[in-house]
Amino acid sequence: MRDRYWVKLSLAAVLAAIVFLVGKYTSVIWILGEPHVLLQQVINGLSLGAMYALLAIGFTLVYGIMELINFAHFNVFMIGSFLGMWALEFLGLSGQSRVLTGLALCGTLAFAFAVAMLGSGVLGVAIERIALRPLRGIPGTTGMITTIGVSYILFNIILLSAGADAKNYPNPMPNLQWQVAGAVVDLREVLIWGISLILMAGLQLFVSRTRLGKAMRATAQDSEAARMMGIDVDRVIATAFFLGSALAGAAALIFGLYYNYTSFLIGYTAGLRAFTAAVLGGIGSITGAMVGGVIIGLIETLGGQLIAVRWTDVIIFSILVLVLVYAPTGLFGRAAPTKS
Amino acid sequence: MPTRRAIIVQLPAAAFTGALIARAAMAADKSVTIGINVPLTGSDAETAALIRDGAMIAVEDADAQGGVAGYKIEVTVLDDGTATAGQYDPAQAATNARKLVADKAVVAAIGPQMSGSGKAMAPILSQGNLATITPSSTNPDITDPKFAAQFRPAGKAIYFRTVTTDAYQGPNMANYFAQTLKIKNVYILDDSGAYGVGMADAFEAQAKKIGLTVLGHDQLDPREADYTTILTKIKSLNPDALYFGGTSLAGIKLVKQSYDVLPKVVKGGGDGVYSAALLKGAGYPAIEGWYATIAAPYIADNPDVAPWVKRFEAKYGHGPTSYSFTAYDAALVILDAIKRVAESGKPVNRDTVRDAIQSANVKTLQGAVSFDENGDIKDRTVSVFRYQHNDKYPVDDVLHQYKYLGVAPQTA
Repeated sequence: MRDRYWVKLSLAAVLAAIVFLVGKYTSVIWILGEPHVLLQQVINGLSLGAMYALLAIGFTLVYGIMELINFAHFNVFMIGSFLGMWALEFLGLSGQSRVLTGLALCGTLAFAFAVAMLGSGVLGVAIERIALRPLRGIPGTTGMITTIGVSYILFNIILLSAGADAKNYPNPMPNLQWQVAGAVVDLREVLIWGISLILMAGLQLFVSRTRLGKAMRATAQDSEAARMMGIDVDRVIATAFFLGSALAGAAALIFGLYYNYTSFLIGYTAGLRAFTAAVLGGIGSITGAMVGGVIIGLIETLGGQLIAVRWTDVIIFSILVLVLVYAPTGLFGRAAPTKS
Repeated sequence: MPTRRAIIVQLPAAAFTGALIARAAMAADKSVTIGINVPLTGSDAETAALIRDGAMIAVEDADAQGGVAGYKIEVTVLDDGTATAGQYDPAQAATNARKLVADKAVVAAIGPQMSGSGKAMAPILSQGNLATITPSSTNPDITDPKFAAQFRPAGKAIYFRTVTTDAYQGPNMANYFAQTLKIKNVYILDDSGAYGVGMADAFEAQAKKIGLTVLGHDQLDPREADYTTILTKIKSLNPDALYFGGTSLAGIKLVKQSYDVLPKVVKGGGDGVYSAALLKGAGYPAIEGWYATIAAPYIADNPDVAPWVKRFEAKYGHGPTSYSFTAYDAALVILDAIKRVAESGKPVNRDTVRDAIQSANVKTLQGAVSFDENGDIKDRTVSVFRYQHNDKYPVDDVLHQYKYLGVAPQTA
């Protein structure tokens, strides 16, 4: 009985210390008096989170089926944004000076999304066919290292052909803003949430309702058994790469329209955070990738607001480590994988 | 059949003539090399090329006249930018410094552009006793006697500048904000690089001294795309002004995003903002109204300078940036040093050239240039500019889009 008394006392002391540190070194107290700032940062966080979620899904789809971490995914994302930029330039747009509305805007964006998504999807399938299929069945890290190599090739193709400077993104969207309880919501934020929700819902429907989707779930569970049941595993893998890369392409076009720029470097940070989101949510789980993405986005903005922006990476990775210590397969993850 | 007499006369004559010709050829083979080290890869590539071009005009002028005191001037251009960094890379700069030191023909160098590279290069150059003159690196630590053990372990000054340092650039801008623009409070951001952090810290220290309230100081990751978090936080604190210490990799994104989130706030930066790469990436209208400084006097509308500008434009097809002038001045100082060493009869090597640079007093585009015992330029002017869009010129034409406002109030 005395032991439990001491355990409770020390737990209370630790909690008191945490409350004291949080109160002294962060601006939690201050922000409770400024709810509109908190709301604004939540809005920012959800937008970032939607982008990370779309990217994370690509990782998780491939990992779930092949137990392979596809490092080339970040740079397929980067190439997707260039494809979107070239599509918009092809339509005669450049910079943010010309604004379209209504049907013209929808048509322009639909064209750009089609080009970015199809182009990225095809690139993803090509990577799988050329670089990964010959290595299928080889155990160990060969596949993962090959994707690192492909990643460098894509990165340098853009660097050497398009140049190192940040490109101004052609953007026909009007600069509409709405005031919501003291915070500002932009048209482009509505665009991100709308497109992300549609794409994620579409993916969930595809995976749960169609035959190919069912085949993907079966292959993810056990690829040998799936092959024995007559499922064309090659086709399933190609579909996974196509879908994941197409979603990355959509995220990339959204990135360009949101930040009004793209460059050969954008795969790096966004990709790292998306990968973290996929792991946090449980790699292999699509729901996990979506939830993980939103969580990482919110941590980024709220951590930056409450503590400081320079600590963002430290905060994100500390939380990741803590979650993995208590739930090694992530928040929604399944049993531990057998290969790396 | 040649007579014996003919052979006795003609053979030595031929040999003597041949020796004269050979000697003349050998004299023309006397050459020295100047190294140029700038980040030609990455976000500052455009400005780096303009700096290199400014220096090259001086060298090409000299070679067109047969060299300096009989020495032909060769140039080795090295790139300290890498793809992985996306901008200047101190590790690559260190490698370049070793290359220059190892090449015995190199007697002096021009560069680096960025202080981050300068910090990496200085100790290596010091040990090789190879002098470099930077046209744009402004971090004061590299020539500060307090850090001599770190940046010039061999003792002698080797890092010379044709610009003044951030010991004056940041603080003088703080004076300008407080006294001229009547700003009461400011939020400071830097881009975590050596130059940016130096600028922001110097600005902050001076701001605190003169009573300008500093609401906060945070650090941007230049590879990160999203700065809306920190900009939202800054917006909630409601400052009069935002000061940015850093270069274009972070600067472009900051300029674009702060245009959306903080439209009414006065925004300013150091010479990292005074850059063609940043203007092109950020674009108009995002950059409109931004203040920028350079650590040099403003000379572009000096009538003596106009013909030089025309020559630059004719040769390279685009206008110079302010640091093209200082790079040209740096090249003039080196050429003058080589000339004085050659004329004094001493051998032209990096030791004698370094000493000659130390004692230089050369008339250049910015006026008379001479250095103090640490390598800093003796003239400490900081010039202030503001972006005012001029439709007649392209957005990234630094000389015509940035309006010169005057000299920043000198720090006591």
